[in-house]
Amino acid sequence: MKLRLSPQTLEVLEAFLQSPKDWKYGYDISRNTGLKSGTLYPILMRLAERRLLETSWETVEAGKPPRHLYRLTADGLRFAREHRLSRATGRVARAALSGVKS
Amino acid sequence: MSTVRRLASKLLRIVIRHSSDESQDWANAMLRELDFIESDWAALLWALGSTTAIFRHCLPRGLKTWFGKLFVQQGELKNIGKQAAGVVSGAVIAVGVLAVSAFGLVRLSLFLFPTWDVGRVPWAQWLAVIAIPETIFIVAALALRRKRRSMAAGIVLSAIVLFAHFIVHVATHG
Repeated sequence: MKLRLSPQTLEVLEAFLQSPKDWKYGYDISRNTGLKSGTLYPILMRLAERRLLETSWETVEAGKPPRHLYRLTADGLRFAREHRLSRATGRVARAALSGVKS
Repeated sequence: MSTVRRLASKLLRIVIRHSSDESQDWANAMLRELDFIESDWAALLWALGSTTAIFRHCLPRGLKTWFGKLFVQQGELKNIGKQAAGVVSGAVIAVGVLAVSAFGLVRLSLFLFPTWDVGRVPWAQWLAVIAIPETIFIVAALALRRKRRSMAAGIVLSAIVLFAHFIVHVATHG
């Protein structure tokens, strides 16, 4: 199955790339990207289904409810970096083209 | 806890209770985040968005399971789609053949043999509209029956409809 790379998905991948080794909370990703839960979670679900994202439940002291954590897998990291690169290349090419036109 | 936050929490608990096993983990994750959202209204919006997300996650899977049960095997759905496409394409081909035969042959004969005046000869019209297309349908259906069964079925269906139309026409108009 092909992953739909919407601007929002790219934003989420970008958020993970800022500190790739750290586990992140859903609400923190939402705040960093400005995405609402209704947009963010389907993206996280799709990434997890394609094994680009690993999930884990936080281990906490007794009585305190655990939180769900997310981090890119090795494949996810590679995928995110490749797409960041292609996005950057596209931007440079577009800028160059617009320079040529003007 | 404010009423709004209680409502947000209740909504997500209902979602957890009614979601599928695979979505439950996600719904729980969304519920856990509620405690870390400062504003009550933001918490409610979070819960509403989460409900939408779970619904979007569950709906395709639920439909798939439902259809899967309906057709016993999931693969059958694909097959039914393919078969329907085959039948439709068979019918479309048949209509094309009929059109070519009915208009094309008559026009061609008028062009090639203008003295025959085929337009005024009833048997020539029946030949172009019924006999030739029906013969082509039967030959095509026989040729396709092994490799493209559904397309052959579409052609046979068109042949039956055309023949029925012919019978009705003869019965009503003489």
